[in-house]
Amino acid sequence: MPKANLVKGTGHRAKPTRKPKFQADLAPFEDSAVRSLKQQLQLTSNSDFFSEAVALFQWAVSERRQGHRIVSESANGEKKILVLPRLERVAPESALPQVRIDWTEKELGRLAELLSSEPAKPTEALVRAMKG
Amino acid sequence: MATVIRRLEESDSPENCDCRDEALNNYLKRHAWNNQQKSSIGVTYVAIDELAPGAVIGYFTLATSSALRDSFPKKYVRGLPAYDVPVILLARLAVDHRFGGHGLGRELLSEALRVSLRASKQVGCRCVIVDAYPTAVEWYQRYGFTALEVNKRSPVRMYLDIRTIEAARSVS
Repeated sequence: MPKANLVKGTGHRAKPTRKPKFQADLAPFEDSAVRSLKQQLQLTSNSDFFSEAVALFQWAVSERRQGHRIVSESANGEKKILVLPRLERVAPESALPQVRIDWTEKELGRLAELLSSEPAKPTEALVRAMKG
Repeated sequence: MATVIRRLEESDSPENCDCRDEALNNYLKRHAWNNQQKSSIGVTYVAIDELAPGAVIGYFTLATSSALRDSFPKKYVRGLPAYDVPVILLARLAVDHRFGGHGLGRELLSEALRVSLRASKQVGCRCVIVDAYPTAVEWYQRYGFTALEVNKRSPVRMYLDIRTIEAARSVS
């Protein structure tokens, strides 16, 4: 008889932990890419594939977050740098250099007014530009 | 056409980028790399056509600056923070004319504002300032930039509050 899954010292049955599910709609070419990758990597399940992909992505994000570049190097020393726009977003900005602005008195007056007031609501164009 | 926007690298080829503006072309070709790597005067981000790696088709340059508290007219000082006001200067933004009209300028501005927003979390900054050509003032106004002094200067200095950018991102 299988042992009941009991919480130690309580006699209560432990709640089964529910694993989050992940579902994705794939375009046909993405589906075939996934199948091909699974075959090459000898992965049998989608869960294993997903887990490996997450590990790789996690590593890439962590490297880029530290400002490291991700480079592939061929046998003859030819290097290629991975540039992935999404990944570039986690890369740290090196401190932007400081320059001097010569302000006119009118500019400073208007600037002071704007700084002292509530920020303007974003325009539609700005909202669209900040999407994605 | 797929483009990538990233920091300028030494191996990039800005020679063929033609923004139809001598000053903007000249800056990209002669000064952008040195100013970024050697002098730390400005950091340049370039748009690269993925089909022609390294070929620059647009760019922008960012730097930080400030408005000194003591320089504000006395009557305005009371409402201001007790410190100099840190700002990010969008020093240049240009698109190769052959790639104009496809939203690349918007993509560059959008990335410049994202970088500014991230930088504001790391070093503090209150607004983005741009010195816009009079012909570009209306374009910047569409994105919420406000002219600080109207009909006075060429270029026109314009302001966008960092909190407005943050709000735009939250809506998105």
